[in-house]
Amino acid sequence: MIDEQIYRRFNHTVAACFVVYFLFPQEIFGIERSIFIILFWLLVVTIEILRFQKGIKIIGLRDYEKNRIAGFVWFASGSCLLLGLYELDLVPQNFVIGTIIMAAYTDPLIGESAKNWGDIIGILSGLACSFAIYQIIIGGFFYPIIGSIVAVAAEKPKIKWFDDDFAMQLFPILAMSILYAYGIGPDLIDEGILIKGDA
Amino acid sequence: MKITKIYIGILYIVTIVCSLLFIIEEHYNIAILLILGNAIPGYPLAKSLLEKNGN
Repeated sequence: MIDEQIYRRFNHTVAACFVVYFLFPQEIFGIERSIFIILFWLLVVTIEILRFQKGIKIIGLRDYEKNRIAGFVWFASGSCLLLGLYELDLVPQNFVIGTIIMAAYTDPLIGESAKNWGDIIGILSGLACSFAIYQIIIGGFFYPIIGSIVAVAAEKPKIKWFDDDFAMQLFPILAMSILYAYGIGPDLIDEGILIKGDA
Repeated sequence: MKITKIYIGILYIVTIVCSLLFIIEEHYNIAILLILGNAIPGYPLAKSLLEKNGN
């Protein structure tokens, strides 16, 4: 039997690979790459609808996810939304890259740390992990501090119809982007373009 | 179970390919994050799968 706990964590961290989107050319087979975001999201939603309708058992899902939208749908929705916001020129590229990788790693880390060493260590490890990832991707201290605090705060509330996999992507990027757009935060290197030539 | 194992194999391939693409494009920071972040749960998962297969 597969260790479902490790399997679930691995599924979560693999989601960081969503950032490979920025290496894609603007057009794939003559179709705008942004269309593929919508197609991918529709594919994920279709799988979820089939899971509900046909009662398909997916290994790694938690018991409480049986009768509600699964975490992978929330995460994919969050990542697709972030990529869409980038395509609409509403958020800087490095915020999107940092936030997707951060959410993919920080959420399972908080869960694992809290389970083994308690809630406080869970929060502290979450803050350290998210800060480190933002620092590596965005640089500086202002945005990594804001992003990591908002991300960990967004992970905590347990709301049935609003998953932390989505909240941990949406709220940090909104906070950082608003501060950046209104000139409250510092300027970004190369205006936040980390992967050049994708646009 | 067989489908799950194939799916896990695909996840490993996706991780390796994405990391390699970022290395080729010289975005080493992203590549290292992808490799390290996925190795932490990926290694014990692979180990457990291989052990079960060995038995």
